Parts: sequence; C-alpha cells; structure tokens
Amino acid sequence: MALADAVGTGRITARAVAEESLVRAGKAQEAFGAFLSMSPAKTLGEAEEVDRRVNAGERLALAGVPFAVKDNINVAGRPSTAGSKILAGFVAPDHATCVARLVQAGAVVVGKTNCDEFGMGSSNENSAYGQVRNPWDPARVPGGSSGGSAASVAARAVPLAVGTDTGGSVRQPAAFCGLVGWKPTYGRVSRYGLIAFASSFDQAGALTRSVDEAARAFAVMAGADPRDSTALATPVPDVLAAPGRGARGIRIGLLAEASSAEGGLHADVKASFEEAAATLRAAGALVTTVSVPRVTLAVPVYYLTATAEASSNLARFDGVRYGARRGEASLAGLYRETRSAGFGPEVKRRILLGTFALSAGYHDAYYGRAQRVRALLSRDFAAAFRGVDAILCPTSPEPAFAFGAKTDDPLAMYLADVFTVPASLAGLPAVSVPSGFSRDGLPIGMQLIGPGDSEPLLFALARVLEDASGALARRAPGAVS
Amino acid sequence: MGGPGGRQGRRYTFAMRIDPALVSKVAALAALELSDAERDAMAGQLTRIVEHFEALRELPESLLEGDVAAHATPLREDVARDGSPGSLIEANAPAFAHGHFVVPRVVTRD
Repeated sequence: MALADAVGTGRITARAVAEESLVRAGKAQEAFGAFLSMSPAKTLGEAEEVDRRVNAGERLALAGVPFAVKDNINVAGRPSTAGSKILAGFVAPDHATCVARLVQAGAVVVGKTNCDEFGMGSSNENSAYGQVRNPWDPARVPGGSSGGSAASVAARAVPLAVGTDTGGSVRQPAAFCGLVGWKPTYGRVSRYGLIAFASSFDQAGALTRSVDEAARAFAVMAGADPRDSTALATPVPDVLAAPGRGARGIRIGLLAEASSAEGGLHADVKASFEEAAATLRAAGALVTTVSVPRVTLAVPVYYLTATAEASSNLARFDGVRYGARRGEASLAGLYRETRSAGFGPEVKRRILLGTFALSAGYHDAYYGRAQRVRALLSRDFAAAFRGVDAILCPTSPEPAFAFGAKTDDPLAMYLADVFTVPASLAGLPAVSVPSGFSRDGLPIGMQLIGPGDSEPLLFALARVLEDASGALARRAPGAVS
Repeated sequence: MGGPGGRQGRRYTFAMRIDPALVSKVAALAALELSDAERDAMAGQLTRIVEHFEALRELPESLLEGDVAAHATPLREDVARDGSPGSLIEANAPAFAHGHFVVPRVVTRD
C-alpha cells in the first residue's frame, strides 16, 4: 500500500493519517451507519506508537494503515457486541490474533464496525444497532454480515477492514460494495478472538479496494497460532508476488450449476459472468465448464450444520459471565430471560433450527445427513480440481438489494448465499473481486474458488479481472473523501 | 407433528410440519422463551425452511458412504495456561463477589 510506504519512509506520520481517517470514519458513520464504536484517543495513541517504531528504524509492512474491525472480532480494551444486545457493555480483554498481527505490522485500529448479530445475516438488517447503508446506493443494503466493514472501505474511511466469513460474510458484502474480499483456506488465519458462530466454518478475512492490498493483508493475517488448534501449522503460501502473475495456461472451470441457480441469475450478473470468462480466456487461461453437482444442496447443508454449531456456541450467552443480564428469580429463569431479551429474531430462529437439527429423534435425519452431504460436496470439489485449477462463479446471484426486500422471508435470504456457502462447507479459499457494474450502476462481484492453499493463484486471477473491469478507478457516490 | 421417520441406513422421510408444540419443546431445550405470536410465526417459517431441506433426501445412500470428517480436529496438550487477567473478567461480569460469579440461589431448603 502506498500509504504504508509513505509512513514507513517518514513522508507522513501515522498520527496524521489516523487523524484524517477518524474524520472520514465519523462521516461514514453519519452517512451509512458503518461503525458501532470509535475511540479517537486510543487510535491516536496507537498511531503515535507506530511513529515511534518507524523512527526507531523498524520496517513495518502496514505502517500507519488505518483499519476497521468487525464487531464480532476482539480488539483489546474496546467493546465487542457482535451486533447483539446480549453483549452490550462487554469490553474485550485482548486482541484477536488476526488483529494482533495487523497491529504488530503497524496497522492502526480506527473503530469497530456494524454487523448482523453474531454474523447471522446477508444484509446487515439483523444488527441490534441499526442498519448500514450501501455507499453505492443508500437505499440498498451493503450485504452482510460484514456490512459495516464493507461500507467503511467503500466510503473510503479506511483502506482495510477485517471481517468474518462463515458462509460468505466477507465475500458477499465485498461484491455488494465494489470491493475485494477473501476468505482463506480453513485454518490459515487463526480464529482466536473471533466471537464464534459456527466453528467449523468461521474464518477471518479482509475487505480492501484492490487485489494488491488484499494480498498484503493476507500475508500479515495468516499464520499458525498456538491459541487456535485448528490454525494450520504448515508454511503460509507466498502471495505478495502473486497478483502480477496473470492467467496464462491456468485451467479455469465456469461453475455449471451457476446458470441454473434456484431463483435464477440477475441478467447483469450473468452478463458480467460471461465477460469475466472472456477476460480470463483473452489472458491465456484455458476456460471450460465444470460441474460440482452438490452445490445445489449447499444451502440446506449449510443451514443445518452451521445452525447446529451456533446453537451450541451461543449457549455460552447466559447472563452469568458477561453481557446483559435479566431475571434474578432462579438460575433457569436467568438463562431464559437473559437469552430471550438479548437475542434478536434471526439469532433465535437459527438457534431453534440448530437445536431442532440436533435434538433426539431428528439428529440422524437432519444434522447427521447434512454432515454426510457436506463430506460429499468436498469430494465433488476434489474431483473438480482434478480437471481445473480454479472455479469461477458469481459471488451473489444479484447485486445489492433494497432494504426490506427479503426480511419477511428468511428462506429467500438464505438462498441468496447459494454461491458463497459451498467454499465454506469445503473449507476452500475464495476471493470476490469486482467484475463490473449493473445497468443501475451497482457493483457486481465474481468469485474465484481454488483448492486448499491456492490463495496465490486466486489473487493472480482476481488481479486479471480487476485490471479488465476498471472497477478500481470508480468510486462509490457516497465516498467521504 | 409429523415424525422424521427412519434411522441411520433407512430411507428418510423429511416431509414434516414443525408445529407450535414442537417449537415450544425446542425453545425450552435452547433456554428461549417465545410469546405465542413469536412461536406461531416461527412454526411457519421453520416448516418452510425444513421443507426446502427435503432435497437432501433425494440423494442415494450409496453416495454418502465416505468419511464424514476429512480432517480430525487437532488437539493441543492438556495443560493449564494462564487465562485473561482477573480484573477484566470481573469488569465484564454482571455480578461478581469474592472472586466468583454471582448467580441466583440454586440450592434451597425446601
């Protein structure tokens, strides 16, 4: 990032950058509701610390880069509500590992961003603290669940925001807000300090304007962590030189099931998909069609297994150790009243669905079967990757939709995740990159999915699409700078 | 309430209605209290969602015979480690006294 180079060489101070970013974040908050909390004194103090380190001769990969953090990721000494009333007042005791790594590299936290409660949603309409508006069109959602993170980058308050992606929560808002968003190979980025939703899916990722910035964030955030036993101990693939490598000779499979997606593909998304295929072909890639048959079952499998995990993970919110508390008459009453008052409707719906899927008499037919289909989907992907190096499909079947368009129909909201949940189920890395715009001027994102540890290839291919789309040169009408 | 029918190895029957009584039962398991209106709305929504999941039933058993877990979750050494500083735990607790979380009385005389 040019900014990191400028701070690292002393041409500008991290403090001056932080001051400017705080002003922009304030505007982004006012215009789009992107942030849930900011602490200017902390931000400026941390920026001054970066200036001291730079002056002492330290070389920092992200010197002075301001960044925003989704509110379900812990930042020491700042609130973490995860968008839920049940965590009102909770202050994180320490940094999530991905945040600690960014801070160690010289990046500076500007604020915590709004999100769907516990990451459960695709539009940011499930936050207990209000909706987030899309800087490309404030009448539309920014996507979710990392909606505030996406809006903060699209509005140009910060060049980098961290999010979590359980079933698409980084990639889909990236697509809706004209950004690059990646989720890593499962385990490549530590989950320590993430407020758990579904542990076998949850991954931290990042949203940036460009592919180069995305790769730089990945290089810093990825790595082993003794505090997360599922964090991979194998060497992190080198992504920094990857974005310039092009697509020559790479075998790309266009996802066959994309065209027949339930509910259909928006015409502009379909056109952008075809254009992206042509771009990769023109860049020397060998483009074919590939089938991953069980992609069509990914939404049911995801919503049975992820909600089952959520029903277990969210049992910890009982009013005893942290957060809001209601009901003092009995212990069982305290649990019940705290949870009933603290959780919003979508979180309750998913806890009930997950509890149902795990309950006696239904476990084998629902959770058990979904687990077996999940394994089958992984085998489908493995078979597909014998024939192609990466799979291309739209990130979302449609561009950003209007507020309220799906709130009365939970199933319709779930079906919007049809293209992002497959990679989550199989633990595969995936990148969403802007590929064009709808006739209404809304951003469209394409998704590249690869085998485990293929992040360098995915960033290289994403850069080819980025260069061709010209999206990087366009700014959201609501940008605050 | 329709039953799921079937056990491991048999053909499943997913077609079922999640009625308000089943919602109440599941809510009790999850320590959630729902108003009557919430419960009835939830019954309709969950039924529709579960109906959609019927598609999983159509897969032949022969396709589902592989390993379920591709990778076992790695476990760390079972040794005690220093957790977060106590003062922060206390600061986040709704009620805390003498180094303990305070909850309503659990053991009573009657």
